[in-house]
Amino acid sequence: MASLSEMYDVGWEEMRDKLRKWREDNCRNSEQIVDVGEELISEHSSKLGDDIWIIYEQVMIAALDCSRDDLALTCLQELRKQFPDSHRVKRLTGMRLEALERYDDANKHYDAILQEDPTNTAARKRKISILRAQGKSTEAIRELNEYLEQFVGDQEAWHELSELYINEHDYGKAAFCLEELMMTNPHNHLYCEQYAEVKYTQGGMENLELARKYFAQALRLNNRNMRALFGLYMSASHIAASPKVSAKVKKDNIKYAAWAAAQINRAYKVSIEMSYLDSTFHCFYSFFFFIGY
Amino acid sequence: MIDMHIQLTSQAYCKMLLHTAKYPHCAVNGLLVAEKTKEKKKDGHGGPVLCVDCVPLFHGTLALAPMLEVALTLIDSWCKENNYVIVGYYQANEQTQDSRPNQVAQKVAARISENFNEAVIVMVDSSRLTMSCFEPIIFIYDHVENKWKNREVTTDAFEDWNEAQTITSALLVGRSYENLIDFDNHLDDLRNDWTNPAINKSVLDLC
Repeated sequence: MASLSEMYDVGWEEMRDKLRKWREDNCRNSEQIVDVGEELISEHSSKLGDDIWIIYEQVMIAALDCSRDDLALTCLQELRKQFPDSHRVKRLTGMRLEALERYDDANKHYDAILQEDPTNTAARKRKISILRAQGKSTEAIRELNEYLEQFVGDQEAWHELSELYINEHDYGKAAFCLEELMMTNPHNHLYCEQYAEVKYTQGGMENLELARKYFAQALRLNNRNMRALFGLYMSASHIAASPKVSAKVKKDNIKYAAWAAAQINRAYKVSIEMSYLDSTFHCFYSFFFFIGY
Repeated sequence: MIDMHIQLTSQAYCKMLLHTAKYPHCAVNGLLVAEKTKEKKKDGHGGPVLCVDCVPLFHGTLALAPMLEVALTLIDSWCKENNYVIVGYYQANEQTQDSRPNQVAQKVAARISENFNEAVIVMVDSSRLTMSCFEPIIFIYDHVENKWKNREVTTDAFEDWNEAQTITSALLVGRSYENLIDFDNHLDDLRNDWTNPAINKSVLDLC
């Protein structure tokens, strides 16, 4: 069977760079990582230099995702040989146990790490992930809250907590987590947009207006965020359509909605031109009349 | 009690499973559509409702309202253009061992029911997802006496089970799910077409 490099005419450097990009973007395209990484490791390991260790780690985690325990074990063993006492490698051992659903063993393993190093955040977060994997949302939420009292700057943890709250339909608490994230990352349009979605979901006029404001803010930070654009249109339309608002508020929101509609229109036109898509998109134009104003 | 028979075409079934396979670590959901028939029999005993297609919606967080509203509205327009009607909702949970319809599923299905009386919820049992697709892995829920009740799924729930099995298996093995587009992908890049014409063509080619 042809190798990836033969099939797609890519050199090992391109494969290495692809892996790096996926690492930096934190992509979970595990099957692709396994395909590229496995070939890189088996054919070109000598050329990779010190990069090989981080590649072993990346490929190992992707292999776990794809039930490729053979590959995961190979990578793990290389890492263990090179870094025999590393807690970072021990965490990978724990993750393998998790992938095999040996949660009790995994927990014991992480507890041992925490005995040696009580500040080891990675081990604590893995324990919380186990709770989530087992469907124990309430415990996961409780542990994560305790963790965040100590490690208040851990953004990944705040985001995980917001997700857990959303899944439990506890939108108020999810909003609080996203507020923390927005405070420490004022330029991140994604947090703004997610916060707006949570507020919109909570419902009520106050929350709708907040949602509209934060969708608008997300757009200021990134004018190509389509969710923010749609969200602005939806929230402004709902506000305008409400019988409870003043004439001025109604007028303003109609203006906002119209502006958003025009931007959405333009965005679709551009994308259709770029891709020669058929008329599935012209159904969009009737979209604007659904609110009925 | 009206016994509505719903049948899935190969295209509808395989796209549901491709969506589930594309995001094994996430919950996924989508809508089921059928062709609008002119005859509406009052006694409810028409032929089976044939779900000709599905539209994959979201992956990951399913419980937020705004994008769901956008999707429902856009897809509703698309349905009108194509003489379809939304007849059901599918979901695969994040937890593979749990295949019961949760609050999100029930809410969306209730919304669909406003337009189509006998809307169904189809839950995909991802714990039984295999490459060979040797058995149907869905549960079908009907709204009966204010509750969602599980109905026994046999090969009768498919227009042609053998065809559905062959096609779905072939597309899973060929990793077609990498090219499956859901509404989330569309929001990330408008050029991504949630009607999935490429996959529809692959299905047709395999028929």
